Amino acid sequence: MATTDPSSAAARRQLANMALFLGPATVLLFMFFIAPVVVDVFVAFTDMGRSLEVTEFTTANFERMLTNDSRIGPTMAVTFTYVLLTLGIFNVTFGLLLALATTAVPERSGAFFRAIWLLPRMSPSVVYALLWAWMIGPTDRGLINQVAVGWLGLEPIDVLSNQPMLLIVLANGFIGASMGMIIFTSAIRAIPEHLFHAARVDGAGPLAVTWHITLPALRWPLSFITVYQTLSLLVSFEYIWLITNGGPFYDTMVFALYVYKRAFENGQYAYGAALSLILVAIGIAASLFMWRLLDMQRLLQTPRIEVQ
Amino acid sequence: MARIELQQVAKSWREVVAVEPTDLVIEDGEFVAILGPSGCGKSTMLFMLAGIYAPTAGEIRFDGHVVNAVEARDRNVGIVFQSYALYPHMTVARNIGFPLKFKGVKADEAARRVIEVAQLVHVEELLDRLPAEMSGGQQQRVALARALVKEPQLLLLDEPLSNLDATLRLTMRAEIRRLQRRLGVTTILVTHDQIEATTMADRVVCMSKGRIEQIGTADALYRRPDKLFVASFIGAPPINLLDGRAADGRLRVGELTLGASGISGEVVLGIRPEHLGLTAPGRGLAGRILTVEPLGRETLYEVATPLGSLRVLEAGSERRWQEGDAAGGTVADEALLIFDKSSERRLESASLALAEAA
Amino acid sequence: MSATLPSLQRARPASGRGQADWDALARAGSRRRAIGQGLLMAFLVTVSVPILLPYFWMFTISVSARTGGVESAVLWRSIGILVPAVLALGFLNLLTEPGIRRLYAAAGIVVVAGTTLAWAIGPDLHLQNWAFLRDPNFVENLSGRGAGTVEAQFPSVWTAFGNSLMLAGVQTFLVLSVATLAGYYLSRFDFQGRASFLQALLVLHAFPAMTLIIPIFLLMHWTGLLDTITGVILVIATLELPFAVFIMKGFFDAVPWDIEMQALVDGASRRRAFLEVVFPQVKVGLLAVGVFSFIRGWEEYVFVRTLLFDKQNWTMSLYIFWVSDDIMGVDYGVVAAVGVFYVAPSILLYVFCQKYLVQMSLGGIKG
Repeated sequence: MATTDPSSAAARRQLANMALFLGPATVLLFMFFIAPVVVDVFVAFTDMGRSLEVTEFTTANFERMLTNDSRIGPTMAVTFTYVLLTLGIFNVTFGLLLALATTAVPERSGAFFRAIWLLPRMSPSVVYALLWAWMIGPTDRGLINQVAVGWLGLEPIDVLSNQPMLLIVLANGFIGASMGMIIFTSAIRAIPEHLFHAARVDGAGPLAVTWHITLPALRWPLSFITVYQTLSLLVSFEYIWLITNGGPFYDTMVFALYVYKRAFENGQYAYGAALSLILVAIGIAASLFMWRLLDMQRLLQTPRIEVQ
Repeated sequence: MARIELQQVAKSWREVVAVEPTDLVIEDGEFVAILGPSGCGKSTMLFMLAGIYAPTAGEIRFDGHVVNAVEARDRNVGIVFQSYALYPHMTVARNIGFPLKFKGVKADEAARRVIEVAQLVHVEELLDRLPAEMSGGQQQRVALARALVKEPQLLLLDEPLSNLDATLRLTMRAEIRRLQRRLGVTTILVTHDQIEATTMADRVVCMSKGRIEQIGTADALYRRPDKLFVASFIGAPPINLLDGRAADGRLRVGELTLGASGISGEVVLGIRPEHLGLTAPGRGLAGRILTVEPLGRETLYEVATPLGSLRVLEAGSERRWQEGDAAGGTVADEALLIFDKSSERRLESASLALAEAA
Repeated sequence: MSATLPSLQRARPASGRGQADWDALARAGSRRRAIGQGLLMAFLVTVSVPILLPYFWMFTISVSARTGGVESAVLWRSIGILVPAVLALGFLNLLTEPGIRRLYAAAGIVVVAGTTLAWAIGPDLHLQNWAFLRDPNFVENLSGRGAGTVEAQFPSVWTAFGNSLMLAGVQTFLVLSVATLAGYYLSRFDFQGRASFLQALLVLHAFPAMTLIIPIFLLMHWTGLLDTITGVILVIATLELPFAVFIMKGFFDAVPWDIEMQALVDGASRRRAFLEVVFPQVKVGLLAVGVFSFIRGWEEYVFVRTLLFDKQNWTMSLYIFWVSDDIMGVDYGVVAAVGVFYVAPSILLYVFCQKYLVQMSLGGIKG
């Protein structure tokens, strides 16, 4: 038998286990998640352009960012408007409404409607964007116009040209509302049924029950969704890119899309990297903030009423 | 205050029958306990009275008026749940005052009534606390106060004492009983604990598998159980049940044949452990002690006899018998209960003689 | 204890309500319930129709549109027939008892609707839009277009389909294996730095990975993985890892220690205990993460658009994007058909695994 010290054999086994189990994850995360952050910082200080070559190190990108880019302000403004509207109207409010409505009707119907509202989220983004394109077609081919012109006798509506912000808020809102709907629904389902029974016997009607029992139980999910979705919306641009491409002109150019185009359409990779740092910084700050929030939630998780 | 009538009331969920068609009358001011094991449908019954569930058949009447379609909030019923169901984010005062909001009671009048009811159940010191900051017993009293503040005509209690520790249970039993007598409100208590039922209620309704097995005073259920289920559910330690066969005036149980008139067929003989006694060997039934369980003020023996294995309860903590001893068993004749095996009904007209025949 | 409690004393008359009062309350209760449920259903139907309609429209276009036109007559006609039919079935379900007569009635409705539908739209249905499945040169073959107007040939749709399948499949497999291993270790083993590792994962999980697209592009370029599906697989799998690891860890946490300890006592090493005792318990977690991962990979657009160029590397998302970009103005029908073809697997997966996805979309990455 071996004469090796048992504790070092155990230590070796632990190391081997750690390498086997955690190794792949750690390697992948380092290579494709953490390394990019480092690369981003690095490239931001270079002059990399279309050629993808670095010839010098410079802070010119940051100077340009701070003094010489007239697009940054407007895109930030567009971003904030878009985030506020989408979050406020759809992700939070409409998500809540859907959760409340689908839990107040019999379970099978509720599940059916929730399934419908998850459809946009589960569809490929390209197809979803195509569907929107067909809906908003400015001639009477677009589905909306078929209803508007054919049934209601209105003039054809051109949402893309006239109300692009409305368009992106709606398009992203349908997607965002579904996440809120799911989280709020499971929070509502977690409320002990006896609380609802007690309230009903105490004399509360459905609105009073919602106000006194349901909503107070949603305080935590509401703040979680708000923070999480704010971050999500701040950095997302996929649907906007596909549906309006930031236009017309720069009307719906959110900051994240602007950064993308600077790098991949104009070939200004270094500048794009520098701009990205703003997003990365926001991302890190928000993640840390949410981490604190989540930890607090773990503490608040334990129910303290003796519920059977 | 209300007289409650259930007429052929039944409840089923899809194919599962929770409550079979049931008739029950509860007089105004009565305190009735619905007693049964879990899953027997007693809580379902309670929730139908409260208006939380709607019966799938039958009529529920308050004071003679049909209330099946009346919503819970309009029935003026107070209910205390097993979990107390206190609103976790509201103080005690707001919890108790909650029902008054929906009766249109003005704020100052409501505050006065809340304090009054809080004093009634001795939680007036806790009005500013949150439910999570109180003990189980305190929470239960707050739940009681909330049920009473609306001056209900019917008070429903769903296993209110099962989450309390033993000493608290004792105190609350007496308190609830006192309260009920004082206020005179018709009260229905649901429990699986027979002691609770027999000590608190005027009448006991014994239920099993969605059906009422027997209704009566605690005493009646104990002495004259109509059904085998009632005999075995009431009484602790549980009654001894022995299979037997009767024919031609003779009953054979175990290895013994007894004289029996008025019965025939397969029967079950029931003898309560407290109606059996142990004496010196050679007298009465020949027995051998199998196990000895000291229970404090009593001792429980398991004794092997020609009738079968019997539990015997002897008063006194001194153990006069040891495992393996031979002993004689005595039974009071009137303590024997005979049930028909298939219908599980008690046979009234039977009479037994324990004197051995043949 | 107070001696007098005026409002709670016994000597009060009974509630004094007559039967009429109770009946009125009963009626009010039923009315309230009906109105409430009615309003809720109306609301839900109203907001859900705009979601379902476009999908249905895409399907009808794919089987009826002709080059140069946008076909919507088929849509409205079929809606005109289907909606009453569905409503009729709904009322039948609500107002009648289950039984043979109900079955016959339902069958009758279906037959009537079916024949009316066939008569109303049958002649308009065709499968020409689906030519792309057979013929990679379908773009040139569209009427009115010659080879000269086409910039370059499109790859066969099956190439794109295969690429998407490979991307989604391999990426899912990678995520599942790596996350299961890591999740298990984090759940069952203690080691120095475990808390920090978990916290770091938490931060990564919340961090929006899309912000790193530029440096990821550069990394791919420097490692020679640009324009390879392998590169995309690695990137997407990695970005999903924090989420997947947490889910799997959660499932492992839920497996009781007892059975694992039993295995160890019975003589297994920790690795064998893992394989034979613990792993089978978390199959549900695997299914959930797997399905979610697969759908994510199937739909990926931004990363493939940025990292893949060669036509032979196109995934379905790129394929449909470029096809619609090229012929959208001319031929809705074909684009719709490609759309239906692309979306069908997602929808099928979604329908069959719905309850898992609902649990899992708690950690979704899209906004």
